Amino acid sequence: MAADTPESGAPAATLTLIVRRTIRASAARLFEAWTQPAQLKQWWGPNSVECVDAQVDLRVGGRYRIANRFPDGKILWIAGQFEVIEAPDKLVYTWALEPPSGLPERVTVRFVAQGRATEVIVTHEGIGSAPVRDRHELGWRGCLDGLASYLHDDSQPG
Amino acid sequence: MLSSAARKRASAEDRLDAVFHALGDRTRRALLASLASRPARITELARPFDMSLPAVSRHIRVLESAGLIARSVDGRVHQCSLAAAPMKTAEAWLDRYRRFWEGSLDALARLVEAQGEQHDADRRARHGR
Repeated sequence: MAADTPESGAPAATLTLIVRRTIRASAARLFEAWTQPAQLKQWWGPNSVECVDAQVDLRVGGRYRIANRFPDGKILWIAGQFEVIEAPDKLVYTWALEPPSGLPERVTVRFVAQGRATEVIVTHEGIGSAPVRDRHELGWRGCLDGLASYLHDDSQPG
Repeated sequence: MLSSAARKRASAEDRLDAVFHALGDRTRRALLASLASRPARITELARPFDMSLPAVSRHIRVLESAGLIARSVDGRVHQCSLAAAPMKTAEAWLDRYRRFWEGSLDALARLVEAQGEQHDADRRARHGR
């Protein structure tokens, strides 16, 4: 018999994504752009996504909601709760699609000064937790409805 | 003629279609959920459901063809286990997230860097340069 496969034990592990980007601006400036709704709306989302509404209650335990409009007009809300706020260095918040299904994911954003620029490090944890762990209604469908257009749109060029 | 990248993308899309088709059914999601805790024989898997063994087997074949479960055969006993494929699906998801964040950070950089340049220009203008 072959060695134990991972699936014989716990459910599949969740995934963590780390994305980094150095931007020519101060940490304070970036923190502000990240947490003030009027500014958030200007940059949030890749080109195919338009942020049409953003609500931010910037305090530990406070909630945020961000409306993502996809090219087909569908709006997908992302929402969560702030867990750590250390201006202008660090933010930690939960992240879930609305309506929530399964466990929320978690996003940590760090702003690390590098001379006159700042490295933004986004760590997105717990990806896959909702579909894998929720025993009742695996949250695929709700996510798919909104993201399908994005996937689709994204797979066309190139 | 398709480039190899295009072919790879098409087959990845096909796999995703198969996975999402498989997941788009309550019974199959419940089967996966019970396999998440441990591997099981088909008869064990079928027990909680009010359906025939062949009906459950059909669901299992759909899951199998999507790569979501693996089956090992020991004599006449078929044992099913959750396969690594959900991780592949998860990786595909991860890729969407990556594009989302990278796209967002690009846009953030464009916004604040443009403002920074404007700010510098204003300051230079004020100082008569």
